[in-house]
Amino acid sequence: MNRSPVNPVGILGVGVAAPELRLAAAAVGAAWGAGGGKHTIALCDADEDTLTLAWSAAVGALGAAGVDGGALSGLWWGTARPPFAEGPSLAMLATALGLPASADGLLAAGSPHAGAEALVAAWDAIAAGHAGLALVVASDALVPGVGTAGEATTGAAAVALVLGPTADAANGSGPPARLAARTSRQLAVVDRYRGDAQDATADVYDGRLFREEVFLPLVTEAGRALAGTAGAIGAWSIGDGDGKLAGAAARALGGPLAGAPILAELGDTGAAAALLGAVPVLAEAGTVGVVAYGGGRATALAIEVSKPVPGAAGAVAALSRGRTVTYTEAVKARGQLVAMVDPVPMGVPPASAAFVRGALEMLALEGARCTSCGSISTPPSIHPRCAACGAPGLEVVALARRGRVETFVVNQTMPPPFQAPLPLIVLDLEDGARLMLQGAPADAERLAIGDPVELVLRRYAVERHVPVYGYKARLVASNAGDRVVAGAEGSGG
Amino acid sequence: MSWNKVAVVGAGLIKFGELFEQSYEQMAAGAFDAALASVDKGMDKRAIDAVIVATQRGTLWGQEGIGGNTIPTAIGIAGVACTRVENACPSGSDAFRIGAMAVASGVHDVVLVIGVEKMRDKSSAEGLLARAASGHPLYNRGETAPVLFAPFATRHMYEFGTTPEMLASVAVKNHHNGCLDPYAHFQNEVTVEQVLSSPPVCRPLRLLDCCPQTDGAAAMILTTPERAAEFSDKPVHVAGFGVATEAPYLHEKTTFLGMPATTAASKRAFAMAGVGPGDMDMAEVHDCFTITEILDIEDLGFVEKGKGGPASLEGETALDGRIPVNPSGGLLAKGHPIGATGVAQLTECYWQLREEAEGRQVAIRNGFALQHNVGGRGSGVSVVNILTRNA
Repeated sequence: MNRSPVNPVGILGVGVAAPELRLAAAAVGAAWGAGGGKHTIALCDADEDTLTLAWSAAVGALGAAGVDGGALSGLWWGTARPPFAEGPSLAMLATALGLPASADGLLAAGSPHAGAEALVAAWDAIAAGHAGLALVVASDALVPGVGTAGEATTGAAAVALVLGPTADAANGSGPPARLAARTSRQLAVVDRYRGDAQDATADVYDGRLFREEVFLPLVTEAGRALAGTAGAIGAWSIGDGDGKLAGAAARALGGPLAGAPILAELGDTGAAAALLGAVPVLAEAGTVGVVAYGGGRATALAIEVSKPVPGAAGAVAALSRGRTVTYTEAVKARGQLVAMVDPVPMGVPPASAAFVRGALEMLALEGARCTSCGSISTPPSIHPRCAACGAPGLEVVALARRGRVETFVVNQTMPPPFQAPLPLIVLDLEDGARLMLQGAPADAERLAIGDPVELVLRRYAVERHVPVYGYKARLVASNAGDRVVAGAEGSGG
Repeated sequence: MSWNKVAVVGAGLIKFGELFEQSYEQMAAGAFDAALASVDKGMDKRAIDAVIVATQRGTLWGQEGIGGNTIPTAIGIAGVACTRVENACPSGSDAFRIGAMAVASGVHDVVLVIGVEKMRDKSSAEGLLARAASGHPLYNRGETAPVLFAPFATRHMYEFGTTPEMLASVAVKNHHNGCLDPYAHFQNEVTVEQVLSSPPVCRPLRLLDCCPQTDGAAAMILTTPERAAEFSDKPVHVAGFGVATEAPYLHEKTTFLGMPATTAASKRAFAMAGVGPGDMDMAEVHDCFTITEILDIEDLGFVEKGKGGPASLEGETALDGRIPVNPSGGLLAKGHPIGATGVAQLTECYWQLREEAEGRQVAIRNGFALQHNVGGRGSGVSVVNILTRNA
């Protein structure tokens, strides 16, 4: 048990993502006539979920590591609650990230421990020589029950790591960080729980009981065992259920808690929490102990950081960009306040032939480039001939992910499940392809012809209980502008 | 081009509106009776040997599978040849063109073209594109009918400085004309201020920039010039027609400043008729939204590209303007029961050329009138018909 791995595994890049929406714990308290606290939580908008967050973090990690999705051996994804209780969660995320059809990998789920399980599995696959470059994503966007204690503490975020064998790197230019050691503990008890047919995750039965007899013993045992193997741990990042447990566990382990500001900003981010808290250490140097807890299992692992991991610097600042919403807006965004009107069904069901034919073109964002005139027709499945010149010679290509607004509207009048304002944008991508996609409601008031936009994966609908994913166009300028505000001091921006 | 001429000897419609009390079949019978009664010298309905029905969407009254074959029995001429035409918003225009070709070919002698559409048997939220769930499941998600035209307004404003006031002037004119048309759905004037303060529907379009959802039916009777003398001493003739298509989806458009299919269809029609836009005494064009009329009058050659807004604002398209457009009130005021729309526009052209349009009669100088529809996920197909009172 708990042997050190034979073949060392390095971290080549990191990416993070959190939704833009923030809810103040005080607003939850006010809604239910209780105290709240000073922290906020991040929560998904209606078109976001654990998969879209995972995608955003993964795109960031791949970019930071300079790795193309097609070069990956596989995707190891941990999320307590995958978007499909049973279904193609992993294949959809892998396809949207451009992984090859032959990609390996695993979806770990069922508790917030899933993030650590995904990381450990990828680690083993590389150490055993089965995998080369591996993408690990830990994400969650759990939905707490209205009126539960978890409502003021349950957040949403994702963190992604690109892992690779350190043997590939020459001496002196080895990976910036390395997975050093790990250990696990388990106890067969019921903690946070959601059964079949339940939409929301229930609180633990007894908070004191959980803290004293389950969480602290398991986490500190695993942490102490890790410290015994890995040596000095400079800081601890510990997954947390209520915003106070992680601090208590770190104190028990005798080290500072890494990522406390992230916890205060985003709340308990479930499967993402333990790795996310370690990101500030990845931006510096030292050894961080990461302890993930969930479902009666605790895994502690040590990461040795020798120099800043690409993508880590600035990641925390990026997470602090939020937009506070009211409690009413929050429960609507979480799908817990729903108009009693029959929503309009999609014209074609998400399991039907159109989605099977279009699976790649919608998720991998493909176009058909004409071998005669070079113009790109989208999507390929409805363009057997070039839309511009009629020629039959077409090759499928991956589309660019940035472009400019050619024209747009803001739709204000739609039946449920649509919500106004809904921008609809005709945009020209950098490769010359033209698309029409939904825009972000937050951009509705500031869209203009010529504006730069980037494509982001979003949940277009939940249709017949099935999430449907596709790309939306988001103003690039608005993000850049917010970043300037976030780091305004002395930036001159 | 050599083709046998075609004459129109009868035309009629029912008052457009929210006709909750009438069935699809009852509307059709009303329009047919009106057309038959309009024949100057009378006509035995048994003279009709073919019916072309335009209905765009049977689903709007709950029947996916209707064919034109319900119509002959409903209107009392069971047994006659009958075919339904669907060609998006120009369904009625195209039914007329196909009816004309049936006569021109010599196969049929007397053809009834009838457009019928039930828009309001389902709630307005469930109507047509209001569901925002047709087309491609992602690329068209959220697309209601105004989404198909509003992007042109955004771009036209950006390129040419077209203003909301210019758009509003189209609604003001067509509502005014509608007050003079007893068949129009709306019989009320609106002001520029009312248009500009109406609720945003799909920015930059507001409620009064949009046509209503309207039930209606219209019918016309076509025959050979030789047979026409049996029925009328002043028939109107089909001078020419044209149809053109373009890529329908918005992301396939090569321009948002106009609709190339409209220009192409009109060029074909003008060439067939041997005339040009300057020869038209009036036009009934597709004004499903205010911006559409502005695009139409540019694309049809009535005004220079980019000048449709100022021309509308300055009254060039009013009843007494240089080129009167939509004297019937257009889709904005008369209504847009899709299959019936084109046939009703042609009926207006017929009345105008016969100078029977009463309070909204325009000056007929050259004897030509143009009718136009565009539609199909925006502008996938355009149809132009040209009528003349000249022999």
